[in-house]
Parts: sequence; C-alpha cells; structure tokens
Amino acid sequence: MANFKENIKRINSSESISGRMPDYDAIVVGAGNAGSAAAITMASKGLNVLLVDRADPPGAKNLSGGVLWGNDLAEILPKWQTEAPLERFIDNKKIGFLTEKSSIVIDFKTEFFRDNKIAHSVLRAKFDPWMAKKAKEAGALVIPGITVESLAIEDRTVVGIKESGDTITANVVLLAEGVNPRLSIEAGLRKPLQDRELSVGVKEVIKLSAQKIEDRFNLTKESGMASEYIVGSLGNLNIGAFFYTNKESISLGIVSPMEELRRNGVTHTYDLIEKFKSHPSIAPLIEGGTTIEYGAHLIPEGGIDSVPQLYGNGYMLLGDAAGLAFSNGLVLQGMNYAIVSGIKAGEAVAEAKARNDFTAKSLAVYEQKLGSTYALKDLKTFKDIRKVTNNPKMYTVYPQLLEGILLETLWERGQPKKKTRDVIGEAASKLSVGKVKALTDLYGIYRRM
Amino acid sequence: MLKIAVMIKQVPDSQDITIDPVTKTLNRSQARNVVNPPDVNALEAALLLKDKEGGEITVITMGPPMADVALLECMGRGADKGILVTDRFFAGADTWPTSYTLASTADYLGGFDIIFCGEETTDSSTGHVGPGIAEFLGYQQATYVNKVEYEEPFFIAERDIEGATETLRIGKPAVVTITLNANAPRNPTLKKKIEAYKKGITIVANKDLKLDPACIGLKGSPTIVKDMKTVADPVKTPVKPGIEELDKVISVLVERGIVK
Repeated sequence: MANFKENIKRINSSESISGRMPDYDAIVVGAGNAGSAAAITMASKGLNVLLVDRADPPGAKNLSGGVLWGNDLAEILPKWQTEAPLERFIDNKKIGFLTEKSSIVIDFKTEFFRDNKIAHSVLRAKFDPWMAKKAKEAGALVIPGITVESLAIEDRTVVGIKESGDTITANVVLLAEGVNPRLSIEAGLRKPLQDRELSVGVKEVIKLSAQKIEDRFNLTKESGMASEYIVGSLGNLNIGAFFYTNKESISLGIVSPMEELRRNGVTHTYDLIEKFKSHPSIAPLIEGGTTIEYGAHLIPEGGIDSVPQLYGNGYMLLGDAAGLAFSNGLVLQGMNYAIVSGIKAGEAVAEAKARNDFTAKSLAVYEQKLGSTYALKDLKTFKDIRKVTNNPKMYTVYPQLLEGILLETLWERGQPKKKTRDVIGEAASKLSVGKVKALTDLYGIYRRM
Repeated sequence: MLKIAVMIKQVPDSQDITIDPVTKTLNRSQARNVVNPPDVNALEAALLLKDKEGGEITVITMGPPMADVALLECMGRGADKGILVTDRFFAGADTWPTSYTLASTADYLGGFDIIFCGEETTDSSTGHVGPGIAEFLGYQQATYVNKVEYEEPFFIAERDIEGATETLRIGKPAVVTITLNANAPRNPTLKKKIEAYKKGITIVANKDLKLDPACIGLKGSPTIVKDMKTVADPVKTPVKPGIEELDKVISVLVERGIVK
C-alpha cells in the first residue's frame, strides 16, 4: 500500500468532487467476463452502474484459449445455455504428452459431461458482447469504444475515472481491466506483473467445416472436444498447448511461461505454434483448414502469491486484473474465476451501498465472499503447483520415458518380451533418469497437483 | 445559429471483408459495422463549422434498427441529435429512393441550412446520395469538398482539384459532400457518449414521412443488377532483384549522400 500513497494525485480543493453526489453507484472498467458479471449482478439489484469498454461492440477485443465452465454464469444468467452464443458443449476432454514422433493421450469421453452441458467452447468476440448486452438489459449503462485514461483519486480514495479531461464519479470503481491492468498499476493499486507470474498464450482460429470437425473428432452436431498437451517436442522449453473445437472452427495454441521465453531468448512464439501445428498427430486434424484469426494474450499464472490486495477505498480488482486464473498443468481456467469474482464484487458493492460506506473496511466483504468460493480456495490449494509445472523434466525427459516404455510394451519387435519393471528401468537409464529422482518428482506431482 | 445535418451510413468494416474463394462474392458476415469513413470526415467538417458559428447538428442515417449505434457514435463525437430512418418499406433501396427518403426526412425535420454527406460509401462507392438529396430538396450543392466555412449568407467550400484548390461560394441552404481524410476527426469522449446513450435517438418511419410506397425501398429502385463479373487477379510477375540491381541502389544511395 506504500506505493498507493506515493501515487496519489491530489486534486486542488477547488476542484474537489468528493463533496457532491457521485454520478454512479459503481463504474466497471472492462467488459470481459468479470466486468460484465459484476455489472449484471449490481444492475439486477437496482444499482446505478456504468460499464465502460475500450472495444465496440463491448468486449470484442477479448481473447481466451479455453473452455467456459458455466456454473457461476448460471447464477446470474440462468438461461445462458440457450441464449448465449456458444460453440459446442464439451463432452470429450483429452490430456496428454507430445514428443517429437508420438502422442500419448488420455481420451476421456463421458456421458456425465453430456448430461449437464456445463462446459462449452466459446468465441469471446461473440460471447463477450452478448454478456455486455445482458448487462445493458439488466439496467447498466454500457459505453463501448472508450479507453479510460486514468483513475480519479482523492484523499486516498478512488472516486471515479478520467477521460478526455472529464471525470465521471462513482462510489466504487471496479477494475476488470484484464491481465495488463494499466489503470490499477499507474494508480499504485497493484504491482506490475513480473515475468515469473505470467505466461503468454498464442492462439489461432482455423476454419474448418462443421462436417469435417464432426467426422474428424467423432462428434455430434453440438458436442465438442477440448484437449491440453504438454509439448515435449519443442527443445528444452516448457510449453503447454491447447486444442478445442468450435462450431465451424478449431481453436488451438501454445502457452509458455514468460520466463521460459526470456531464458531461451531466441525462440519466437510464432515458431512454437507452427511447430505445434505441424506435429505429426496435430497436422492431420487441421488439414485443409484456413487460419482466420490469430492472437496472443498474457495469462496471470502466478497463483495465490501474485493476487494483489483485492480492494481498497473506493475500488476493487476483478478477474485477470486480480490475477485470478488457475493452472495446475491439467487444466487452465480463467473465465469462470473472472465470473465468480464479478458476482462477488457486485454483491459486495450492493452491501456496501446498503451501509453507505465504500471505504476499504466496508469493501473487505468482497474478499471474504470470494474467499468462501473455489476461486481463492483453488489458488491456495495449488500454491506450489509451479514447482511441478516448471520442472523441465515434465516437458522433456518424462514424455520420452513414457514413449520409450510404450514403444517397448505395445510394439512387437520379434524379440523376447521383457517384464514391465525391466522396460521402465531400461528406458530410464537410457535417458539417465535416476529412479530416486523420478520417484521424488512423481511424489511431488502427487502431493501438489 | 446554423441548423446542420450530417447524413451517415453504417457500413461493414472493409478490413474485415473477405472474398469467398468459391462464389467470388463478398463475405461480410464476419465484418464489424462502422460509420462509413468519409462520413466521419463529413461529421468533423460539420463540428468544425459548429465550433466556429454555433448551431445544432442532427445526424441522420437510413438503415436497419441496429444502425442506432452508428448514430450514438457520432453523438459521442459531438453531434446533438440522432435520427434513425428505418422501416421495412425503405428496405432494398438503391441510391434513388435512398436520396428521396433522406431528402424527405430533412424536409420532415423542417429543412436545414446545410447538409453534410461523405463523398461516397465504402460499400457501394456511387457518390450518388449527396447530390441526390440536394436535387430532391432543391438545395445548392458542392461535391468533393474538404473544408466549409460560413460567410453569411453563403457557404465557402474548398475542393481539392489536382494540383490546385477550387473555392466555391454557394448559397443557403446547401448540400456538401466531404472527401475521405479531408480532416482529422475528433474522437468520441466518454462524457459525450454517456450523454448520447442516455438521450438516445429518434426513429422516423414511413408513417411519419408518408411517402408513396411505390417510390421508396426496393419498389422505388430503378437500378437492376443485370450481371456481376469477378475480375481475375492481375498476374504478378515477381521481379527478383539480383546483385546488379542492388549495386545500382547502393550507388544511388551513395550518390545522394544517404549512405557512405
């Protein structure tokens, strides 16, 4: 908070705006999943809400590389499954390793996923404008195409936002400005993110006919597949990859910790995604498709340690801006965390309004509420996960070890067969993996994941 | 105080338009809608005139209900009012009934001292509608203008003609069409956008204008598209510069003292 104090820009008393009624109960900056969820929550409770987004239509610049889990969304938009522009519901999850020549994948297809249809692939450029529209329908004033310049701060309290020389005031400003939260950082409300707290995702959307997608992935008209890989074929880089089906396109991409790219220094992310696309088990899946969109996005993967102070006098941080994304190597989620933070922030503002107190003390209820949900609990539970996901062996040696074992056990070479124990032992010694080290790592995964 | 109108159109963003490789038709389904770029220059020309002379700017568009955001965008930049001319009777209009309907709207709103239009739209490039409005209303007109000033009771319009500037003095009321990039349009501001979204826009339908259905929309459109041909991409013969050409380039650069 020391930083915050230093950064306070005092306004001359003649310009003081603290004396008059604020223009809004709450201003939400950013119409992503967090911002729109907050606006919907507050506007439904009758609060006077302004939601501002830089894109027009609102949210159209947003990007993600994952599946939307709708448990929280259902709380504020019960009809989301029929009304939202969704792509395919996911009933098939795959996780696996890629080595240079092989893919080792667990293919989990289940009727359980079909029953509640809670996971969907979405294209954010369509989905987010829809959510912003819902905020408008709930009664929020939604203004697209405006980039907020700075926060208005008076007496150590955020009192509004500034743009083109105008100040628009509110009791609370909800900062849902995304992974690169310029306003929050400039106002000293949070520290800039460090390399070690960030991953970079690079994504392509590849157009492919619905028929081809359904045939290639064994899907029905509405069902979809989502997969995540540990990519062991990209040199010594710790790279993850994702691949999922939309109605008439495939979304795929790679995710790499920022530190990895910095450490490597020479490899470009576009080379990595090209290599992933040309992997022998990926290339046939996208054959004949055309890339219609590409993008890149930072992902806050710092876990609980990089979650900043979530609230203060007159403000709250939401979603990516608060570092609320989850990764444990098996799953990478952000949208549901954003939505739940939006709902809890919105509820907290409504309660603060009932008390007519918007100080940090009053807004602390946001953190209490969020703390009782999976959002903060998950980040705490998996606080050491980076020790697993940052272990280079996970990306290089272990996929090869697995490959070696499978080659030996599932392949007929016309040679006498060996016991599994010996197969593992030989494969491990070939890769000079110590048995003790491997067991320690395995125990580490078991303990932290 | 001048009574100013700006006629705009919502068009698909040309950056987002692709050509279907099979049918060779324009695929605009993925395209985002924007205000026709020269119309933004027309609005800025109107705003500059208002800044200097005072007045009220009404932005008018004919289009589907979703075109309201284009009007709100213009109000965010400083226009005072937005009028959406929308009705199923107006649908399918070519440039003739479009000009007629918009001219009738201007008349219905009590006429204007000056009407600004963009020189043409990026999605059909006819340049008909501005002059069409002038003719239906019997206003003076100046086309391909880049700057407008007012010297009571005349408008002074500057047009770029190749290598020179032509200055016209035209009487009031007038229609001017403004060229693309004639000026640097101001951005919308949050405060003005908030005001715009709160104020909203006004809808004008044919029950207001009471135009003969035979003269508007598709029925009133004399243009019939007889045929459409796709022009093949010009064959590009790539020139691969060799060492000799490179030497020439270097010698020119050395000659001019750009490199040593």
